Amino acid sequence: MKIPFFDIENWKEIGSTLARNKTRTFLTAFGIFWGVFMLACLMGGARGAEDLLRRNFEGFATNSAILFPGNTTMPYKGHAKGRRWQADHTDIERLRLLLPELQTVTSQSSQWNISFRNGRHSFSGQVWGVEEAFTEVMLPHIESGRFINEADVKLQRKVAVVGKKVANELFPGESSPVRKTILVNGISYTIIGIAYQTSEIQMNDRIDNVVIIPVSTFQKSFNRGDKVDLIMMVGRRSADFSELESKIRRILYSRHQVDPNDKSAMWFLNISDMFSKVDTLFLAISFLALFIGLSTLVAGIIGIGNIMWVIVKERTQEFGIRRAIGAKPIDVTVQILSEGVTLTAIAGMAGISLACMALGITAMLTTNETSVPRFQMTLWQALLIIGIFILLGTLAGLIPAIKAMRIKPIEALNDK
Amino acid sequence: MIKLTDINKTYPGAVPLHVLKGINLHVKKGELVSIMGASGSGKSTLLNILGILDNYDSGEYLLDGTLIKDLSENRAAEYRNRMIGFVFQSFNLINYKNAVENVALPLFYQGVSRRKRNLLAMEQLEKMGLADRSHHLPGELSGGQKQRVAIARAMITNPSIILADEPTGALDSTTSRDVMELFRQLNRQEGKTIVIVTHDPGVGKQCDRIIRISDGLIIPDNSIITSN
Ligand SMILES: Nc1ncnc2c1ncn2[C@@H]1O[C@H](COP(=O)(O)OP(=O)(O)OP(=O)(O)O)[C@@H](O)[C@H]1O
Ligand SMILES: [Mg+2]
Repeated sequence: MKIPFFDIENWKEIGSTLARNKTRTFLTAFGIFWGVFMLACLMGGARGAEDLLRRNFEGFATNSAILFPGNTTMPYKGHAKGRRWQADHTDIERLRLLLPELQTVTSQSSQWNISFRNGRHSFSGQVWGVEEAFTEVMLPHIESGRFINEADVKLQRKVAVVGKKVANELFPGESSPVRKTILVNGISYTIIGIAYQTSEIQMNDRIDNVVIIPVSTFQKSFNRGDKVDLIMMVGRRSADFSELESKIRRILYSRHQVDPNDKSAMWFLNISDMFSKVDTLFLAISFLALFIGLSTLVAGIIGIGNIMWVIVKERTQEFGIRRAIGAKPIDVTVQILSEGVTLTAIAGMAGISLACMALGITAMLTTNETSVPRFQMTLWQALLIIGIFILLGTLAGLIPAIKAMRIKPIEALNDK
Repeated sequence: MIKLTDINKTYPGAVPLHVLKGINLHVKKGELVSIMGASGSGKSTLLNILGILDNYDSGEYLLDGTLIKDLSENRAAEYRNRMIGFVFQSFNLINYKNAVENVALPLFYQGVSRRKRNLLAMEQLEKMGLADRSHHLPGELSGGQKQRVAIARAMITNPSIILADEPTGALDSTTSRDVMELFRQLNRQEGKTIVIVTHDPGVGKQCDRIIRISDGLIIPDNSIITSN
């Protein structure tokens, strides 16, 4: 016996049947097309959406925390409450020494509303004093030049990394003002780099709008002694900041004579905690996408089965005629299943193609200079979706097909 | 060609209906016979059994020397395809296929290639005088034309017998005559054995022999004579 799949005659017959029954073919195909399209969009879109969201935190160390010393709210060891205390380099050294779980401990200090000047061009914004290690917490994009390095800090160099926006304001039309001079609060600095950020996380302001100088230079220029505004920490892989928080508080509180119970004397921002919440959100989104996808799939399959059922009922007489003139039961079954599979494959392919186009356009629209969000699907995902549809479509068509196989020619022919 | 011995058929149901009550019938090769009888007498039932569309309960049916009894669906389909051509009152053409495709369809189930099927189908349609209608859908054809397409389809596999259930039932008298003329031609020129169920005495007259059936039994020829 011939295997129907390899029989060109069979395909021609299916082709002509589908082509002649345009409305029915279209309706069935559209159901499948839509199901595949939705599923593909969801599967391909979920990762893209995640990338888009993640882009907001790009370059920021996930396992990190920031502490902001504030005012005490409890009297302690002869100190009245409401006392302002400040962290300094000794605190940083102590944290480094006492907590080996911390990979990086560094600081950021800032001075607000400082005027920046280049000849007659001026702009005002924040000046930050940082160490090289700042980049381990938050990696800025360097457009040209370089960031602050260890030697800059050690030698108190009068060098500055200038935010892109500041550079554009002060040096309009110049491609790169690196090695030029900028007046910050009346003191001249040599520009060593131009920096910007694409993420949405801000430390006081966007890097684009500020001027960054070595912390040592900063402390000297603004009479800060060795005080810093805030301390930033990055933990090693195993470090858990929810556990470390109390240790960190103890280390700082004991030195600055703050009541160990005075939680409000220091704000501890646990960034890794926030990230894990975001991770949970992504997980929830993925589950939602999966759920909607599966629902679409089930609805699609039921739709196919339903349409196949109607088609078989509608075509009872046709199958009766075919049986009378020599079609075997299996011929009828194969015909229905092949029609279903052919439709599913073609409509599924169309659905996937359109979904890929939609994803591609979304990706194009959301791409920026730093990242291309993954609005895309792998070949395997595409094949998987079509495969699932064909498999389930066949299963859904199987019941009507078996029903059609059972049609007795006389019954069908009497059915007028 | 057809030999029925004591065929019985009962339709099961709440009230089982004994429709054929011991049919004995012999149709020779090349005969053109008609089956006549009152409505409900069992003509269609008999024809369905002859066409292997339905089973019978007891007796024996030999078609061209082959015993037709308790065949599997596959076997039955194969025999129908190769040995029998059907013509129905309501034509039973597939409405979305044009004339050639309808005529060619039985050959599809023999695995004949599309080119060859359509070629043979065209030949048949030409014989039926329908060459110019070959690409029309059934809906675009007159009743007489549809029936000729159906006859062409019945002829395409070159079957040993043609079974027609009231082939002129839906046609006017002129068209009926044309269709009957066609059957006679097939009978004379191609030597086809043809069995036609009909109510129309005019159709019966054009056949070699009339088999009368009444209440599930065949009325013997001599009783017709005596009743006459
Ligand atoms: N599938 C069936 N199930 C039950 N009873 C049936 C079935 N088909 C036919 N019958 C009954 O069997 C009897 C004979 O039916 P049949 O169709 O053979 O009659 P007929 O001679 O062809 O009549 P007509 O001239 O009206 O076509 C009728 O009483 C009919 O109701
Ligand atoms: Mg009848």
